[in-house]
Amino acid sequence: MKAKGFAKHYYLMMLPGFVWLFIFSIIPMFGIIIAFQDFNPGQGVFNSEFVGLETFKYMFQLNDTPIIFFNTMFIAIMKIIGNLIVPLVFALMLHELRYIGLKRSIQTIVYLPHFLSWVILGGVMLDIFAYQGPVNQLLGVFGVEPILFFGRADLFPFLVVGSDVWKEFGFNTIIYLAALTGINPALYEASGIDGASRMRMLWHITLPGIRTTAVLLAVLGLGNVLNAGFDQIFNLYNPLVYSTGDIIDTWVYRTGLLNLQYELATAVGLLKSVAGFILISVSYYLAYKFTNYRIF
Amino acid sequence: MKVKGKIFALLILLFLLLLAACSDDAGTNEESEGTDGETTEETASDEDADPFGAYEEAITIAIGQEVDPTDTSLEEGETPLNNKYVNHVKENLNIDMEHAFTASPANYDQKVSLAIASNDLPDAMIVGPVELRQMVEADQLADLTQVYEDYASPAIKEIIDSTDGVALENVTFDGKIMAIPNSQASADGIHNMWIRKDWLDELGLEPPTTLEELKEVARAFVEDDPDGNGEDDTIGLAGPDTSNKLYANFLESTNNLYGFDGIFSAHHAYPGYWIEGEDGEPVYGSTLPETKDALATLRDMYAEGLIDREMGVREDSGESVISGKTGMFSGPFWMPYGPITDAVTENPEANWQSYAVPLDENGEYTPHLSTPTSSYVVVRKGYEHPEAPMKILNNLFAHESEFDHMEGGGGPGHYPLRLVYAPADEMEVTTVAMREVLAGTKEPEDFYDMPAYKLIKNDVDTVFDTKLEPYDNMDIEYWDISSTSFTRAYSALVGTAPQVDTEVNGVKSLIYSQTETMEGRWVNLKKLEDETFLKIIMGSEPLDSFDQFVEDWKQQGGDQITEEVAEVVN
Repeated sequence: MKAKGFAKHYYLMMLPGFVWLFIFSIIPMFGIIIAFQDFNPGQGVFNSEFVGLETFKYMFQLNDTPIIFFNTMFIAIMKIIGNLIVPLVFALMLHELRYIGLKRSIQTIVYLPHFLSWVILGGVMLDIFAYQGPVNQLLGVFGVEPILFFGRADLFPFLVVGSDVWKEFGFNTIIYLAALTGINPALYEASGIDGASRMRMLWHITLPGIRTTAVLLAVLGLGNVLNAGFDQIFNLYNPLVYSTGDIIDTWVYRTGLLNLQYELATAVGLLKSVAGFILISVSYYLAYKFTNYRIF
Repeated sequence: MKVKGKIFALLILLFLLLLAACSDDAGTNEESEGTDGETTEETASDEDADPFGAYEEAITIAIGQEVDPTDTSLEEGETPLNNKYVNHVKENLNIDMEHAFTASPANYDQKVSLAIASNDLPDAMIVGPVELRQMVEADQLADLTQVYEDYASPAIKEIIDSTDGVALENVTFDGKIMAIPNSQASADGIHNMWIRKDWLDELGLEPPTTLEELKEVARAFVEDDPDGNGEDDTIGLAGPDTSNKLYANFLESTNNLYGFDGIFSAHHAYPGYWIEGEDGEPVYGSTLPETKDALATLRDMYAEGLIDREMGVREDSGESVISGKTGMFSGPFWMPYGPITDAVTENPEANWQSYAVPLDENGEYTPHLSTPTSSYVVVRKGYEHPEAPMKILNNLFAHESEFDHMEGGGGPGHYPLRLVYAPADEMEVTTVAMREVLAGTKEPEDFYDMPAYKLIKNDVDTVFDTKLEPYDNMDIEYWDISSTSFTRAYSALVGTAPQVDTEVNGVKSLIYSQTETMEGRWVNLKKLEDETFLKIIMGSEPLDSFDQFVEDWKQQGGDQITEEVAEVVN
């Protein structure tokens, strides 16, 4: 009986989340009808002329469509991989540190960037990689000609991924550290007595111990494969790098909000949602299969 | 289980309530808008039309306004809604100002787009030609034909008529006037070259005239350490930043900062403009071989390091002008209102002078010219007092020259719904007048009776506050920079001098507004153009990708648009 009384609080705690979801995710969903209309803001969503798949036809004629989908996937997948491996390696190294004070301070310092917004970090990045910025000055010492980093389409995706991993790895490390503390110390003692080296302990105890966490994070990350990070790219890109750096979200923003092509922006957004839905379903199925993790 | 069920029921109930609340709002809004619309027409025709008359009972107007967050010109206690401009409107017309939204200059267009898309419009705001067309088609605007007829002050009508009907043509849809157009001085559309004359002197160079000489000066500015700090850190010619364009185009034909407008027009290339082709039919300037030649020149200059390496990537090219790293940049006469006043405050020896360069191969100055009108005040359909914005503009024009002398801070941009009304030759006439007063050949009083030139009286009265002897030498050392008249006087006497002293053989675009197909396709064509040209100049694509661009442009709707333009023009 006690347990039921408890449940009430849980539902109450869920309430704000539900309201938020309803207002910001469910209601706007009706807006997808714009993609099938010749949308006229004066007449609104209900009275605009219905044109069927006209907009979608135009969308597939555009050179931009395949490019932005490719860019989004490429950047997002690189980010998922980077954000998996770098924090894992870093957590393992940190875990080996004996001196707790040092470990704690490193942990705190590396996760600070997570709390800065891309508006600020974007400015910092642009300055650091500027034509006469510190990076180019350093390269200059080795006789390298200065590079206009944020004007180079071939470098842009890697700068984006690199800076995102740098910003987030400290925070992701915490999850792995939590998983690491969950490993029974007795296992290390036992293997120590059996004469296992540090590397052997890492291979046979530590890594298997956090395997589930790693796989789970990787699989759940798949759900984000069409979210390459609007605020980051928006603050870093410019027309020179549209060819490799323009992602679905930035493109939809420019097309719909800046250029008033509502139908086209909605159609691309809808396509993204459909693809995202499929990928999320797959990733949850995989999560269930590999780690027995279920949401539904 | 019972409890669970009840709570679920409660949640669902809550959602329903929310939904009901939302739709309720929408319903009542539409109703009230409908009734408002009907009353409008009655009141407008009942009242006697007095362009300057105050309302007996205070009315309220909610406007969308640009507010620059870095602007510190307002005094203590003043706000965008409480300053001498807004109060002047209140006193003279009994109109209370409210903000439907405010946005920084960089975000204003976006905010306007958002207001249009969500149909959540202010009573009145300023928009550009693209948005105007969009709003007319969405049936969001009040018909201002009668308002313009009855309420526009004679002075404003006179100026609008002086554009040979172009201004009204741009706002007339199906015979109805749907917005109040501005009329700006043509000087806003002429982009001269601003050059550090003290650097020229330091290096023993003459001001350039031809393209070749311009290149030599740029090279010297980059390589010969003109600022004498022993470091290789100077920029020859500035390039556009992320908020400016390579060149002004037919939709935004004025006020392009740090572009290459002059270098294009010295090649007789007019990218972004619709000009007459060899067969007399309209062609798009960006697709012509002259543009390719100009791109080749720019590409070489960039490769040689004469143009800012970080063009296209910089947030604000003005920063390096202020900090004294830049030797040349392109911009209209009013650049002292831009980076130059800051630059000379920073370094009083930075002798920025403006030149009509580069000249074409025949030694003629052939810049592109702007449309006389580019911004519009629009009024929301259903607003009770559609004549109020017109009255606000009448009031502005009648009193504009008085504001500088009133108590309180803030520049003219703080006047709500401010549109520029100026005779096309306003700046040139002002420059000549100020010169004559300085030379002593005329007295300030000779210019008092020129109501259309609303600032000229103030200009001739205050010129001696800032210009020091000798009066015919415009170098920066002969100016009092600290005077409040400095910025305006420097814009006239230095910024406008090139087009007064040089014969301008300008080129106009055949149209300055969008055609039907452009609405859907122009954005993508423009993107193709901008990206290709930027990449060609910066060397990340070969020059011959220009030919591919021309082909793509024609295929992706350009040909169809060209036909439409031909229809409009002929």
